[in-house]
Amino acid sequence: MMTNNTLTKNDLKKVRWRWYFLGEAAWNYEKMQGLGYCYSMMPVLKKLYPEKEDMKKALQTQLQFFNTHQEFAELILGIDCALEEQDGINALPTVSSVKTALMGPLASIGDTLFGVIANTIFFSIGAYMALEGNPIGIILYLIWGAVRTFLRGRFIMLGYREGTKIITTMGEKMNRLTAAAGVLGITVVGALVPSVISARVPFVFTSGEVSLELQGVLNQVMPSLIPVALVALLYWMLGKKGMSSFKAILFVMALGIVLSVLGILG
Amino acid sequence: MELSVIQIILLALYAFVAINDQIHSDFGLNRPLLAGCFAGIVMGDLAFGLTVGATLQLMVLGVSNFGGSSIPDFMSAALIGTALGVISGQGEEFGIGLAVPAGMLLVQIDVLARFANTFFQHQADKYAEEVNLKKIELMNILGVFMWGLSRAIPVFICLILGSKVVTSFVSYFPVWLSSGLKVAGGLLPAVGIAILLRYLPTKKYIPYLLMGFVLAAYLGVPMLGVAICGLALALLFYRQGGFNEAKAETGGMDDDE
Repeated sequence: MMTNNTLTKNDLKKVRWRWYFLGEAAWNYEKMQGLGYCYSMMPVLKKLYPEKEDMKKALQTQLQFFNTHQEFAELILGIDCALEEQDGINALPTVSSVKTALMGPLASIGDTLFGVIANTIFFSIGAYMALEGNPIGIILYLIWGAVRTFLRGRFIMLGYREGTKIITTMGEKMNRLTAAAGVLGITVVGALVPSVISARVPFVFTSGEVSLELQGVLNQVMPSLIPVALVALLYWMLGKKGMSSFKAILFVMALGIVLSVLGILG
Repeated sequence: MELSVIQIILLALYAFVAINDQIHSDFGLNRPLLAGCFAGIVMGDLAFGLTVGATLQLMVLGVSNFGGSSIPDFMSAALIGTALGVISGQGEEFGIGLAVPAGMLLVQIDVLARFANTFFQHQADKYAEEVNLKKIELMNILGVFMWGLSRAIPVFICLILGSKVVTSFVSYFPVWLSSGLKVAGGLLPAVGIAILLRYLPTKKYIPYLLMGFVLAAYLGVPMLGVAICGLALALLFYRQGGFNEAKAETGGMDDDE
C-alpha cells in the first residue's frame, strides 16, 4: 500500500477551519481542549497513519490535556503538522512535549493581548457610542473579528514553516507589542472614567437669596470627582482578600440605591 | 404587553449561536453590547437594547474566561433584561436591574455545560481504543449543543416566565427602588473599570491613565479621539522600546538620556 506522507496547503486549511469552528466545542474540565485538538488534527492523522495501530497511538496522544488561547492555538497546530509530517509516529513524544511547553506562554500572551487589551479598546469605544444611542461602534469589533480570522490563517502557516523557532522570534516582538497595546488600553480606560460613569449630586444649598449647587462646587475641584473616587475605592477593595467581582457588583448596586434614597445622588 | 413566540424563539436562537461564537470565531456576539443591540432590534426599541447592553458591557470590560474560569453570563442577561424591560414599560434602569441578578445566577449553567462535556471526552477516549474516527468526531461536534443549549434553554425559560409575571410585578415596584436602580445603573460601569485596572499593569502606566482622563474630562475629547491619541502614544512606546533594545544589543554607547 502506498503511503502519502506529504501534507499540502489544503490539509493545513482543513485543520485550521476545524479548529476555527469547533476547536472548543467539547471543552471540559478534565482535558479542556483535548478532544477539540484531536478533532482538528484528524485530516492530517488520517493521511499520515493508514495503519490502525499507528492511528491508535496518534489518537491517544492528541486526546490528551491541552489548553491555550483559542487564537494562538493555530501556531501549535502548524508546528505539530510539520513535526508529524517529518517523523510520523516517532514524532509523537516530541509533539506531546511541544504542545505542553507552548500552550502556557501562548495562553498568557493571547489572554493579555487579544483577551484583555483588544477587548478593552474596542468595547470601550463601542459601549460609549451605544450609550449615546449609536450602534456604529459595534462595527469596529466585527472588523477586528475579520482581521483575527485572517491572522489565524497566517499563524498555522507560520508554525508549519518555521517550527518551534517561531516562538522565540515572535516572543520578543509579541512582548513589545503587548506592552505598547497596554499603553493604548490604559489611555482609553483613563478616558472611560469621566465618560461612562454617571453620578450627579442634585443637592442645592440655599442661604437667603444665594443658592449654591453642590455639583458645581465639585466640578470646580475636579470634573468627575465622584466617578474617580468610586473607581479608586473599588480598585482598592478588589485588591483585598475575599473580594470578588460578584461582591463588587452587589456593593455598587446597594450603594446606588442607598445614595439615591438619601438624596445624595440622583 | 407580552412577548410573541417569534421574539422568544429568535432570542433563544441568538443565545445558542452567540456562545458558540464566543469560544470559536469570536465576532463578539456573546458580548452584552451586541446581545443588547440584537434584542433591541427584535423588540423594536434599539436605544433600549443599546443602553442595557452597553451598561452590562462596561461591567465586564476585558474580562474573559481565562483558562476556563466562569464569568457572569451578561450576554443572556442583556437579552433577558432588554426583552422584559421593554414589555414592562419601565425605563432602561428596570431592564438593567433585571439583567444584573440574572447574569450572576446564570454563571452556574456555564459550569454545568463544561462539566457535561466531560462525558463526550470520556466517550472519545473510549472510541480511540477502537480507532473509531467517525465517533470521535461526532463526540466533539455534540459539544456544540451542550454549549448552545446551556444558554438557549435558560433564556427561553426566563422569557416565557418573565413575560407572564413582569407586567404584574411592575405594579408592586416602588418608586424609591426604581430611582435607586437608575443611580446604580450609572455607577455600575465603575466595577468593570476597576476590575480592568487590576488586570492591566496600571502602576507602570499611570502617566497614560492620567492623559486619557484629562483628554476626556477636561477637553471633552470623544472616545474614538482618545483611542487615536492612545495609538500615537503606543506607537511611540513601541518604537522607543525597539530603540532601547537595539542600543542594549550594541553595547549601549551612552547612558545619559
